[in-house]
Amino acid sequence: MKPEVSKVDYLFADELFGRLVWFVRLRWIAVAGLVAASLIGPFLGLPGVWPALLVVGSFVAVFNIIFIYHLGWRSRRERPYEHLRSCAVRQIVADLAALVVTAHFTGGLQSPALLFFAFHMAIGTIILPTRIMYIVATCTSGAMFAVYMLENTGVLAFHPLDPSRGMCGAACQFNMPAFIFALVGVVALTDSVTSRFKKRNLKLWETTRELRQSTDDLQRTLEQVETVEQRKSHYMRISAHQLRSPLATVRTSLQVLTEGYVEPGTDRGKKLLEGALERLDDLLVTVNGLLDLAKMREGRARAPWTRKVNINQLLADILDALEPLARARSIRLVPDFEGVVILDWGVPPDLIYAFENLIENAIKYSRERGEVTTRLHLNGDRATVEVVDHGIGIPEKFLVDVMHEFVRAPNGKKHAPQGTGLGLAIAREAVEAHGGTLELRSREEEGTTATVSLSIHVKPLKGSTELVGEP
Amino acid sequence: MAEKVILLVDDDDVFVEAVSAVLESQYRVRRAANGTEGLEMIAEERPDVVILDVMMDYLSEGFEVARKLRNDPATVDLPIIMLTGVDQVYNVRMEVDESWVPCELYLEKPVAPGDLLRHIAEVLGEQ
Repeated sequence: MKPEVSKVDYLFADELFGRLVWFVRLRWIAVAGLVAASLIGPFLGLPGVWPALLVVGSFVAVFNIIFIYHLGWRSRRERPYEHLRSCAVRQIVADLAALVVTAHFTGGLQSPALLFFAFHMAIGTIILPTRIMYIVATCTSGAMFAVYMLENTGVLAFHPLDPSRGMCGAACQFNMPAFIFALVGVVALTDSVTSRFKKRNLKLWETTRELRQSTDDLQRTLEQVETVEQRKSHYMRISAHQLRSPLATVRTSLQVLTEGYVEPGTDRGKKLLEGALERLDDLLVTVNGLLDLAKMREGRARAPWTRKVNINQLLADILDALEPLARARSIRLVPDFEGVVILDWGVPPDLIYAFENLIENAIKYSRERGEVTTRLHLNGDRATVEVVDHGIGIPEKFLVDVMHEFVRAPNGKKHAPQGTGLGLAIAREAVEAHGGTLELRSREEEGTTATVSLSIHVKPLKGSTELVGEP
Repeated sequence: MAEKVILLVDDDDVFVEAVSAVLESQYRVRRAANGTEGLEMIAEERPDVVILDVMMDYLSEGFEVARKLRNDPATVDLPIIMLTGVDQVYNVRMEVDESWVPCELYLEKPVAPGDLLRHIAEVLGEQ
């Protein structure tokens, strides 16, 4: 909340600064008026008044210069609202003090300068909080009452504008309450008018801020859409390349044979034909992978969501199924299950795909006679599956990219040339569809740990229509 | 006149085998399976033409090899033919920071054997 308050203050500070500058300019007119009165006074038959007005005028001129210095010609940021407000209070108090002195020398409660008190009350209420102006009005009334009493008791000399006339007597008894009423009245009236403007100003500022916020949100959304579009386009092109490359190889191989560069019956010819077949198989695997990925991305909401999916059972089945592959490479599969993990809901084929892919990768990139551990752990409602191998590892710069489609680390390609680079992307999609995360930690030549983290309170994705299991 | 040497840098061994069969009818062919290997072989023996794939161990490996060759005074004038399954517009866009593709010729796979031989002859100034 604090920064917002400071923004509001900043908004008013800007306005207050403008008004104070205007106030300083007006004060020069007051100085000119006082000096003019002091010069014209003697010609109008007011002999005693002019030196006092000249002194007051000079005093006002001096403090106006001090105020200009105080306001400072600094940037807006260096003019906090609090500083400007104290400047305004000091200016008004100094003005009113000068007015009290002027009023004393120009007839006390009969002085024409009394009008300027009301003028100051109005301006003060516009630029300052109303409660401050009520205090100022009370103090001013007190000061004028003191002057009035001192003049009445003869402590201070009475300076009537017209020396031929004395104090106004009983009629003037009403001037004091009228004066106090006028000051308080002007403050109240001005406040009722300006408070509405201040509220509207604040509302306008808030609306502007909300608008700016909405524009920023819209801009961000647009950027996100653009990023998604770029990724989509990138994915399409990479996919196209992955499909076109094996096709191009098949075509070139066949053309080399048909155009007679190599005889089909020779060893080289056979090698080319076998190679072409191999590439067609690769192509089939890639197409199947792309279909799996598309199914996972677009069709997962329609997948058959099953209630109560036992992860222990699921992992045990996968390990059984992969045992022959591991045995062929003399790799030991070690299950390390701690607790029983049963997900509220799940899509078993997708989960099998994900875990099978991770364990298969671990076997594939392990060295012969290695060990692959599948660790299952339940902590509260959070289940973690870790697949740990001590194989060739993934270079750090490929650790994020290998989760994307068609990206394979060079050492992985060299170690196991066969592979589409789609498995991890599909596995990640499957885990994320269950609200989980898939992370990889790896050190080249030391091994990789793939960690799947899931809440057991999985809910079917929004829009799922096919639900299987006991209600 | 000594036999011209072509270096074929591509990670698809079947494609390399097929193209080699075509090129061997006229040139001596050397093969490399990735960019690093290709650069090593160029340092060993400078070929007359390098035929480079783009996506090998990583997305833009072929471009990187081409730039390294162009930045090396010893190979600055070595003719390079990019022969790849990626279309050219994409390559330029992929290399946002540096769209420079320094090659004499950019060919998209598949290329008919006769066309490939003609292109190489052009680059070598034989036609």
